[in-house]
Amino acid sequence: MYLEVKNLVKYYRKNVPIIKKLNFSVKKGEIISFLGESGSGKTTFLKCISGLEKINSGTISLNNIILNNSNIFIKPQKRNIGFVFQDYPLFPHLNLKDNIIFNLKFKYLKKLDYMISLTGLENLLTRYPHELSGGEQQRACIARALIREPDLLLLDEPFSNLDSNIKLSMRDEIYKIIKETNTTTILVTHDINDSLNIADRILIFKAGVLQQYDDPVNMYCEPANCYCAKVLGDLNQVDVNGKTYYIRPEKIKIVKESIHKVIVDKCFFQGKEYKIIGKLYGYNWHFFSKKPVKKKELLNVDYSSEDLIFFDSMCNNFFE
Amino acid sequence: MEIKNKIFYLENKRWIIGSILFAILLLLPIFTLLYKLIYVEGNSFKYLLENILLDYSFNTFYLILITAFFSLLFGIIPAWLVSIYKFPGRNFLDIVLYLPLAIPSYIMAFTYSDILSYTGPIQSFLRENFYNISIFFNQDYLQIEVLGIIMALALYPYIYTVSRVSFSLVGANYINVSKNLGLSSFKTFYKIILPLSRPAIFSGLFLVLMEVLNEYGAVKYFGVNTYTTGIFRAWFSMGDIGTAIQLSVILLLVVFSIFYIEKYYHSKTKFYYKTNSTIQSLGKLNRINKFLAISLCLIPFLFGFFIPLIFILNNVFLTFSSIDFKDLLQLTYNTISISSISSFLIILIALFFLFIEKISKTRVNYFISQSISMGYAIPGAVIGLGLIILFAFIDNFFSSFTFLGSFFILIYAYVIRFLAVGKSPIKSSLEKHPESYDDTGKNLGLGPLKLLQKIHLPINKFALITAFIVTFIDLMKELPITLILRPFNFDTLATQTYEFAVEEMIPLSSIYSLMIILIGSVLLLFLKNIINKQVNVS
Repeated sequence: MYLEVKNLVKYYRKNVPIIKKLNFSVKKGEIISFLGESGSGKTTFLKCISGLEKINSGTISLNNIILNNSNIFIKPQKRNIGFVFQDYPLFPHLNLKDNIIFNLKFKYLKKLDYMISLTGLENLLTRYPHELSGGEQQRACIARALIREPDLLLLDEPFSNLDSNIKLSMRDEIYKIIKETNTTTILVTHDINDSLNIADRILIFKAGVLQQYDDPVNMYCEPANCYCAKVLGDLNQVDVNGKTYYIRPEKIKIVKESIHKVIVDKCFFQGKEYKIIGKLYGYNWHFFSKKPVKKKELLNVDYSSEDLIFFDSMCNNFFE
Repeated sequence: MEIKNKIFYLENKRWIIGSILFAILLLLPIFTLLYKLIYVEGNSFKYLLENILLDYSFNTFYLILITAFFSLLFGIIPAWLVSIYKFPGRNFLDIVLYLPLAIPSYIMAFTYSDILSYTGPIQSFLRENFYNISIFFNQDYLQIEVLGIIMALALYPYIYTVSRVSFSLVGANYINVSKNLGLSSFKTFYKIILPLSRPAIFSGLFLVLMEVLNEYGAVKYFGVNTYTTGIFRAWFSMGDIGTAIQLSVILLLVVFSIFYIEKYYHSKTKFYYKTNSTIQSLGKLNRINKFLAISLCLIPFLFGFFIPLIFILNNVFLTFSSIDFKDLLQLTYNTISISSISSFLIILIALFFLFIEKISKTRVNYFISQSISMGYAIPGAVIGLGLIILFAFIDNFFSSFTFLGSFFILIYAYVIRFLAVGKSPIKSSLEKHPESYDDTGKNLGLGPLKLLQKIHLPINKFALITAFIVTFIDLMKELPITLILRPFNFDTLATQTYEFAVEEMIPLSSIYSLMIILIGSVLLLFLKNIINKQVNVS
């Protein structure tokens, strides 16, 4: 494996660990999405990988070289890991070109033109950071990280400061650049759409613990627990024979006659279909309809028992 | 194992050890004073307690109270008017209201005692034109209350500066909401802007209080017995070093109490509010209120700068023929060179400590940074006494060389006293930049020195210039340390002004005062220009 993380523990106060025994590995050229809620320790994790934070126990190794364990700590300056920070920190006293070539080894200078054209920054080289838009700043940060041919690229919430129009195009652009340069990448995000669009594998992280590490399709169809299931999309709860099951909205059909009758609370247009929110057996249900329905209307719905997902009793705690 | 782990995780160890050693050097005079206190005879303290302590304490606190009250009045009201309203002359007043910072308190005291004296212009004019009224004005003006007001006129810019920035930075949204909730402009100021600005105002007031405690020239001239004059008297006039040490330690206790009250208050009342992203629109006033606003802003400027300057200029013209220009040139050179060298060193040392605090992020370095900042709160007389006792001891080991009376010891004292002045603008500038600059720098391969050289020096250059100027102005005005520790035959503009004034030759001292004011004013105007570029105050 290219990147190996074994039993990683990180805390600032011993009794409140941020990361508890994290284990996972990444193949060369893979894009991994590290998905978790705000404040869950995602950025701290990236800082541990890049050497900006030291780990408390465990091992991080990259390309068979140990970066950090209880005896070894390779300084961030020596790791050759590219890091694109959330707030696009371009140095304000340098123009865009000087920011990209900042402290750059001579051997990489020949890649400048290629990297600038790849990131579409040709006409902005003499501009200062305050003269650039959020998207341009972000592309400059990516160019600055990639020109050094990093062994690993870390992207910390790269789309969180962008408005929705530019975000979609930026996401596609970044994916193209990373794949073109075959750079192993860890993308930290709290947005599932970013993960589904870019990642080869998704790592779901909650309360300092890895919940599931799998490819997007498996994760959606076979979630390890209800937290992972919920993260990837809406779930509807239903009790069958005294057991609690869950079902995805798209698995629910509107029928003419059924024993399951939903009272509609809300119906709104979502582009292709109408999304309906209603009550069934005291639970909030979400599903789709081709036609609009009125509030308080009674709808007959049905589903196949094969589509029901069952989790253990811990599930209720996750949704709280 | 735990300790081994902690040391393993500690970054930049060599820098941290260096900063600890350097901090000990800076705090050495204070440790010396505390150590010497043990050897002072018990009878000496009994004498102090029974005879002079009460008088000194009362005068010191009474003077603090009067100066604080008038400084707040002269500082807050114009800052509010200039920040919130539009009126003729607003931009001009905004610039000149800073200028009293260029006049040291002792020059203000000498000048006003001359203006108000029996032979001064006011009483002479009244005697010639309104004899009956002139009898009423024939008073002894060398009173503690008058001194308090005069010092407030010299020191209010500390409060004006912080209030002005703070009032302008309170987000326009808060003001719009309070207006929408039906509050008048005054109530908006009183209930929203003032409470949000309280920590800033208190930090300005803290500087005023420290200046009052440190003041020697003005207080001595007015014959008011405070702790600082008491230290000088006990030490130089009576040769009683024991009483001087005891008074210094009492003064240190007072200063540290105020210092910690300020820190405690600041931590309890620090608000995290949204600052202005757009320039706040200014309120309009009717004709009467415009006149009132102009008058209220003019009062501190006229009495704190214009009138003393005119009086000093008049004295300079009257004594023009007796001015020794060669001497003036020499003293100006002395003042500029010693202030420049010291300011440069102070900025370097301040940057050293702040940078280590930033990159190490340890509690030790935070504590060091706080401790060395206390130097500004320690009066010059106390630092002087501590250094003389320390170096008298060290000099015994070096028979061929003596530190006492050298530039080294003078600059050493300046560094202890004014390090906090140099630190302040650099610290606030460093705090403005996101942590990710450091992280990016490290990620791109920069070590600590290169990080400082390639990122922090260029992006904080305005803060460094600001720090240099404010330190330079303070050093140029400094009196007690220079009087105590200057090398033999070395005079500055400040010491010469003081020496003429105590010899009752105020007109002859005026040219030296004028020089201080001119250099200070030019630098302040330059500084204001820099600050305006940096802070988007409306």
